[in-house]
Amino acid sequence: MTIPRKMIDLNMDNQPLRAEADATILKVAEANGIYIPTLCAHKDLTPFGGCRLCIVEVEGMRGFPTACTTPVTDGMTIRTNTSQLQAIRTEILQLILSEHPCSCLICDEQDECKEFNATIRKAAVTTGCRYCSNDGQCELADVVKWLGIKEINYPISYRYLPVEKDDPFYDRDYNLCILCGRCVRMCQEIRMADTLAFKQRGQRTIIGPAYSRTHLEAGCEFCGACVSVCPTGALSEKTSKWQGKAESEAVTTCALCGVGCQLNLQIRDNKVINVLPAEDHLINNGQLCVKGRFCIPELVNNHKRLRRPRYFHGGIEEQLSLEKAIEIAAGKLSHCPPEQFGMIISSNCTNEDLYVAQKFVRTVMDSNNIDTMSRVSYGSAFGAYLNLMNKCTTMEDLRKASAIICIGLDTRFGQSVVGVELRKAGKRGAKIITINPRPHNLTVVADKWLQPETGQEAGLIDKLAKLMEIGANKSKGVKRPAASKGIRAELAEAIGILCEAESVVILVGSDVIQYRGSSDIFESIDKLAQTLQAGVMLLPAQNNLYGSLMMGTYPEILPGGYSSTDKARLNHFAKLWGSELSDSNLSWNAESVARGREIKVLYLLGEIPLKSRPAADFVIFQNIYAPDFFNPEELVIPSAAFTEVDGTFINGEGRLQKVRKAVDPPANVFPDWKILSLIAQKMEKKGFEYLSSEDIRIEISRVIMGFHNSDESLRPILPFKSEFHLSAVSEGEMVNFKSKGQKPFLLQTRVAEHTYRGFTLSAFVDGMKAISDENVLEINPDDAKELGLSCDDEAIVKSEEFEKIWPVKITPQQPARMLRVTLSPGDFSGHNPYPVKIRKNNV
Amino acid sequence: MEKKILFKYIDDPLQVNIDTYMSHGGYKAWEKVLKSMKPAEVIDEMKKSGLRGRGGAGFPAGMKWSFIPKDSPKPRYLVCNADESEPGTCKDRVLMEHDPHAVVEGMAIAAYAIGSHQAFCYVRGEFAYPAAMMEKAIDEAYSKGILGKNIFKSGYDLEMVVHTGGGAYICGEETALLNSLEGERGMSRIRPPFPAIEGLYGCPTVVNNVETLAVVPQVINMGAEWYAAIGTEKSKGTKIFSLSGHIKRPGNYELELGTKLSYLMNDLGGGMLDGHKLKAIIPGGSSTPFLLPNQIDTPLDYESLAAAGSMLGSGAVIVIDERTCMVWVIERLIHFYKHESCGKCTPCREGTGWLEQLIGRIEAGEGQQGDLEKIDSICDNILGRTICPLGDAAVMPIQSALKLFRDEFQYHIDNKKCLVKTEFEFK
Repeated sequence: MTIPRKMIDLNMDNQPLRAEADATILKVAEANGIYIPTLCAHKDLTPFGGCRLCIVEVEGMRGFPTACTTPVTDGMTIRTNTSQLQAIRTEILQLILSEHPCSCLICDEQDECKEFNATIRKAAVTTGCRYCSNDGQCELADVVKWLGIKEINYPISYRYLPVEKDDPFYDRDYNLCILCGRCVRMCQEIRMADTLAFKQRGQRTIIGPAYSRTHLEAGCEFCGACVSVCPTGALSEKTSKWQGKAESEAVTTCALCGVGCQLNLQIRDNKVINVLPAEDHLINNGQLCVKGRFCIPELVNNHKRLRRPRYFHGGIEEQLSLEKAIEIAAGKLSHCPPEQFGMIISSNCTNEDLYVAQKFVRTVMDSNNIDTMSRVSYGSAFGAYLNLMNKCTTMEDLRKASAIICIGLDTRFGQSVVGVELRKAGKRGAKIITINPRPHNLTVVADKWLQPETGQEAGLIDKLAKLMEIGANKSKGVKRPAASKGIRAELAEAIGILCEAESVVILVGSDVIQYRGSSDIFESIDKLAQTLQAGVMLLPAQNNLYGSLMMGTYPEILPGGYSSTDKARLNHFAKLWGSELSDSNLSWNAESVARGREIKVLYLLGEIPLKSRPAADFVIFQNIYAPDFFNPEELVIPSAAFTEVDGTFINGEGRLQKVRKAVDPPANVFPDWKILSLIAQKMEKKGFEYLSSEDIRIEISRVIMGFHNSDESLRPILPFKSEFHLSAVSEGEMVNFKSKGQKPFLLQTRVAEHTYRGFTLSAFVDGMKAISDENVLEINPDDAKELGLSCDDEAIVKSEEFEKIWPVKITPQQPARMLRVTLSPGDFSGHNPYPVKIRKNNV
Repeated sequence: MEKKILFKYIDDPLQVNIDTYMSHGGYKAWEKVLKSMKPAEVIDEMKKSGLRGRGGAGFPAGMKWSFIPKDSPKPRYLVCNADESEPGTCKDRVLMEHDPHAVVEGMAIAAYAIGSHQAFCYVRGEFAYPAAMMEKAIDEAYSKGILGKNIFKSGYDLEMVVHTGGGAYICGEETALLNSLEGERGMSRIRPPFPAIEGLYGCPTVVNNVETLAVVPQVINMGAEWYAAIGTEKSKGTKIFSLSGHIKRPGNYELELGTKLSYLMNDLGGGMLDGHKLKAIIPGGSSTPFLLPNQIDTPLDYESLAAAGSMLGSGAVIVIDERTCMVWVIERLIHFYKHESCGKCTPCREGTGWLEQLIGRIEAGEGQQGDLEKIDSICDNILGRTICPLGDAAVMPIQSALKLFRDEFQYHIDNKKCLVKTEFEFK
């Protein structure tokens, strides 16, 4: 609860007003509908007072105070719009315009131009005219119009700065910059990333990362917050800069990771042209990461989107109508025995899709063979991970925590919204401990960085848990173990921090997943959480992983998280669905596909389990893009992306969130649930007569408590019953690498986390290629030197089981003798890290 | 009259050593303050002495100290502004080089008066030698237990460090200085809040000039009445004037405030160089308006100079003789201010840039009719409309020159050459 502020009376433009005592004149004016022009003020940022346009007259005050910086006082008399003020503002704006290409603002033929585009090429490109991407959205233009400036007294001085296009995602034309400093303040105050700064001084002042670094080098997270606040066209998104002004907006939930940020999709001509963060939202609070901010238009508007079904048979590719495709699918499926069928569904699908899919598998196919690829990407840790998920804490707890432990988390590109929260927490005095073998973006934020060797995280966390337990038992609360007792001093420091903390939250990133023994890590985390009474926040890469558990898209799990061997539950569902349900047939799962188990029909709904075609007689592939492997027997059905459907997601916290249809899918492309329902109807099965996702939601709410429909996107957290037992991916034997002599190289493979429906974002989004290190071998500079590798070389990596060739990327962050490669899901699994031999590929 | 208070031992080369300084009565005031005075008494003493800030604005020092909130739980900081960079001014440098202990002692007393346990001396980046002397003095003071913990067994702790800037004029402005001291870019802050309320790291802070602080020990030693008896009614004490330009004996002179300008120039400075004729005087550093030869008898104090249409400023008297083209003078000045503008607020950033271009082209013989009116309007646009006084500082000499020497500018535009026959090679 906020304490009501003191209210005061004042007079603005002969209007008596009441206002809060600490508010600035500008805020009071805005709240009362009085317009004061300003270019540098922004509601989220601290007052800057730089542009000097918001000057006002205050009785009894010397000169012209700026409205954005002057707080109101009792009895103040303010005039905002006198002729003298307007004259000064005109002069000041002219000074700004003298350095800003402005023929678009003060052209003689502006009115005609607007109507007929008559003078589109009259002015040189360099002076602006219509060649500014911010046309129609420029705040500078609004002020010029308001002040009625028709000409300026200064010759226009063009700065001749090259437009900066080298960094991904956004372009910068600092010729258009008016140095309002909003981007700098956004970067420093709100994001606390400190990438942008003022450089040079006087008239040569310019914005950019200090010391002439590129944004990539300077640690830019490409969150795009600076672009959002730029009042001119100086900063612009590469993909949407020429798309013009949005016609409408739609708020929806992001499908690119489990944080569940709310997006404000910008729509024009039935196309998502840009994405802005939804403001004042509990989860992302007006912030986004690079994926949400920049990747979605390229992802959903991509020319590679599937638009028509395709049927491959006998070496022929045939394009068909959807009816025909449904007919073929129904035909193939009706002849498929339950144990010979398998479906892999993406955890990027909506709950409605997931629910219908599992119902389809269980009632139509009479099988339990449905799974997600998460089982493979989480490796042996899958069960432990899902277990932890059930204890998940919330964003609100994170904001209140007095100590935060980050395990294997790097928030530079993924989950950068959480990164912002971490920095905020650090600022308010919370202590941050990060556990990661590699230097990462949180090392500068953290109070303590514990650096275990790769693969040894579990031991470290275990030790931490054990020592905490001892500390807690010995004396209630503050007792630091002495550093001399063989405990590493760093660990002791960390324990000191944790002993003093009132509430602890543990954040788990994706860097610790898919190790050999990663289940140990999650068990250790569980232990640590119990000792500290800490909340755990898992940050899954799959946005609807929780939803897939709740909807029961696993052989072992029924909707609501019930075990599928539970007879009573099965009967309950059988009655509900009006169909017999089998409790056997639990031997197949996603790992079987990875291991090449042959079945008759494999239904891949929004997933690609392997790089090559999975082993099955027939594959139904339903996705937004086509797979890039050639297939002799396959049916490809296009489906809608998350911007084109209504539905719900459950984020990593277990919060039910709305997905709203922003644009129509391409013609004859339908949501996944619709396609499945059509197939089921074709196969003459009952129970799939859904008209909208709303119908499905009503049905789900009958199965799962708390899952009811409401317009509010912030809902209480859904608990699920963890009565199931999951079979995890089996691990290979760990080769003993503690051999004599020099330590061998260890290869760590990790699953690409920036994916959507089985495709890596970097395959479809240009900028992601620049920032994600997929399919390259990361190696320490010293090791590279020893092996004679330079940055454009390829290396042959050989272990007892495989031999691979990868291009080399030399990164100082990589610990010595450690190699790391990021692969598409399903590329590799098991005993990770691998001891390997490595040599240069001599072409 | 010349009166040496600050410069009493300035010619003694050993004054930089703590022993010599102490043998001249150094650190007596500090001991007296710690042992027998309450902070409020020190502030009262300063108020009574009438000492005004010597950095340029002339704000009463005691008053400034008393603005520190009494009940703030935050730490307080004292900052000595040694970022002396006003063109023509070279007084602080001399004090730091030749009598650094006076500055240290003054800082210590000021810190005690405001309840600060941490004092910073922010020295301009180019001042490597003065910074080294200050550091040496502070080290010596620490070794004698004059700084550090439990000073003179009074229980009072004071830490003092020297911090060197990167060499920017703007950092002489107190809020930009605080930003720079915090490690941020030197850009002025919005006031209010004033540094006394929210200064360094958001804590109450007093920023004082070197010369102001250096005289504090004398005021304590000799008493406020003694100090208040020196100078005029409103301008108390002495001030160092840095005399430069076309004068026979340029240099730093310490004068009782209210001494006539002609005394400084003719009696101490030895008159005009080579018998040339006086044309104009800048009395208080490059940002103050010009005085004309007929104003040579103006007393050097805050009020008289203000009445004469100028300012005492930092006390840098620049003498200009008749061979000098005023367009060139102004061109040099505006080049400096344009270079030093921090770029934060529009009028100063854009305005100084345009002024440099316009004045530059007049000087180069490429001026156009109407340029002077444009300069007038830009000056009006900057004066009083910027966040910090840099904009005003840039504009005041220009406005003054345009008022007093407009014919020279007009002649430049009309005839593409100087009105004065100049012997100097400018280009």
